[in-house]
Amino acid sequence: MLNITKTVEGEKTVFSVEGRLDTNTAPEMEKAIRETIPEAREIVIDFEKLDYISSAGLRVLLSAHKAMSSGGTLRISNVNQPITEIFEVTGFSEILNIG
Amino acid sequence: MSKKKRDPIGRFRSDMGLNIIGAIVLLLIVFGAVASVIGYISFTNAFKREYSTTTYHIADTATALIVGDHIDDYLEGRETGEYELTKGSLDSYCDRMNVSIVYVIKVDRSDYGHFTSVFNSVNNTVDNTSYTPWEPGYVRETTNDEYRDKYKAIYEDGSEYETVYRTKTSGGINPHVTTMVPVKDSAGGVAAILCIQRPMRELSEARRPYLINVAVSAAALAALSSVFYALFFRSNLAVPLKKVSDEANRFARENVKGEGLGHVSRFKEIGDLAASIDKMETDMVAYIDNLTTATAEKERISLELSLASTIQENSIPNIFPPFPERSDFDVYASMDPAREVGGDFYNFFLIDEDHLALMIGDVSGKGIPAALFMMVTNILITDRAHMGGTSAEILEFVNHNICEHNTADMFVTLWLGIVDLRNGMLTAANAGHEYPVLKDPGGVYELFRDKHGIAVGAMDGVKYKDYTLQLRPGSKLFVYTDGVPEATDPENRMFGVEKMIETLNSDPDADPRDVLNNVRRTVDGFVKGAEQFDDLTMLCFEYRGQDDKTDCKGDEKDE
Repeated sequence: MLNITKTVEGEKTVFSVEGRLDTNTAPEMEKAIRETIPEAREIVIDFEKLDYISSAGLRVLLSAHKAMSSGGTLRISNVNQPITEIFEVTGFSEILNIG
Repeated sequence: MSKKKRDPIGRFRSDMGLNIIGAIVLLLIVFGAVASVIGYISFTNAFKREYSTTTYHIADTATALIVGDHIDDYLEGRETGEYELTKGSLDSYCDRMNVSIVYVIKVDRSDYGHFTSVFNSVNNTVDNTSYTPWEPGYVRETTNDEYRDKYKAIYEDGSEYETVYRTKTSGGINPHVTTMVPVKDSAGGVAAILCIQRPMRELSEARRPYLINVAVSAAALAALSSVFYALFFRSNLAVPLKKVSDEANRFARENVKGEGLGHVSRFKEIGDLAASIDKMETDMVAYIDNLTTATAEKERISLELSLASTIQENSIPNIFPPFPERSDFDVYASMDPAREVGGDFYNFFLIDEDHLALMIGDVSGKGIPAALFMMVTNILITDRAHMGGTSAEILEFVNHNICEHNTADMFVTLWLGIVDLRNGMLTAANAGHEYPVLKDPGGVYELFRDKHGIAVGAMDGVKYKDYTLQLRPGSKLFVYTDGVPEATDPENRMFGVEKMIETLNSDPDADPRDVLNNVRRTVDGFVKGAEQFDDLTMLCFEYRGQDDKTDCKGDEKDE
């Protein structure tokens, strides 16, 4: 179960996600981000209420990061401790723009 | 008993054909009754009109016999000769005309309440009556208001004639008409009224056969119509409906398309119903065919998946103990994909006599894409490892090769270690995988927070760092995928790394096979049957050292 709330502020789009970003919900997140990429210069994904991220969720972030790297930024904000650990363990903290 | 008794009624209620025939018979009976009544009334009216006209003519003719100017003279006893003559004429007229009574009265015009008889000729033979002629001058009350109104109409309104009907037999007197005409004086005024009472014997005589005719005709019509409608409804309603119903039952039983009902009835609704049944059968058969095809397709995919699963299982060592001739180490591993095939994998193999490669990995995503990605990664690592080099070098090579063709943005977390079996030196590198768990001889299992690189496939050109660990005889290494700590119970709580370490330490001296079984059992107990979405893969390695070269089984414990 994942709730995605999208807020657009000019060229900046904020996604607030709540719940679990796993194999079942990753396609939904991927679709939401993919629709936004052509029009947004800055995408922020707010992880404040995210409980869990699986490798499928990480794949969505990696994909979005690669797509945004050519002329935009992707930032993950409000990352809690367990998810920070996941980012660190998988090495994604070195690729993704977190904070 | 009572049930048996009710059966015919029940049948009548439920049998459509009988119902319809019953309704028709009932309708025709009502129709026949109404027709009879209407026929009776019009017959009677026609008869009455006919009688009235004829009787008027008889009466009108009779008035010619009477001299209107002499009425008062007759009553007062004058002109007795003429009176007798006239009386005689009227008597014979009465006989000749077959009427019951011919009488002339002078009505009291003040209120028409009584009248005085002038002439009265009776013929009792005509209608088998027993009237006694009134004497001239006999005064009598007007019979009733109907007569009073008729008298008044003749005296005051100039009516040509009036008729009173008695169509029913009452008081022993048969149906008759009484027609009254004015007897006029020479000035044209009404001097008296001449009445003729004539029996309507023909009416009652003709009415009975008429009624019988109507009733018999109606009954015959009812019977004929019933037979006709019974046959009509039978062939167009009951039989077609039974055909449709039988066909539907047959189809439900056999699920095979019939010959088609075609045109079964002239009723559109039943024709439509039959057409619907035909169409339903065609559609249903097509649907069943589709379903069979789809099921066959599903079975084919299922078979392919099962083959793929076997291929994947056999692409990694899955026979234990894997190295029964080696006593210097023991390794045990398990892989349980959440679906038929998975993205998790482990592998271990001897690069040469003295070097054992150990690895565990977790591809992002699940199912066939993850499995394909896993196969590629596994082959790349195995091939590259046999060419020599450290764990970090191997991972860098594999990362580069995967990134070159990674259009799906997939990645794999990998832990790769190479153990020098001569001295227990482990050289490992971690590409974004879970921390390994280590246990020194005599110690407890502890999480080893090793140096981390990025998951393989995430970014090209990444450098990984090797680290070394000195294993001693009795040292154990446990690596796993996130399926273990992230196993979830029905309340959505995760198993967690702490509980995993706790489980490992519940039996620190267990050999690799028991370690894995123990963890698996504990995880299963934790999730309590909640569906698991992640693959679950574990590998446990125990270093035993070179000091004991006997041919022990691999799964035996070190001393």
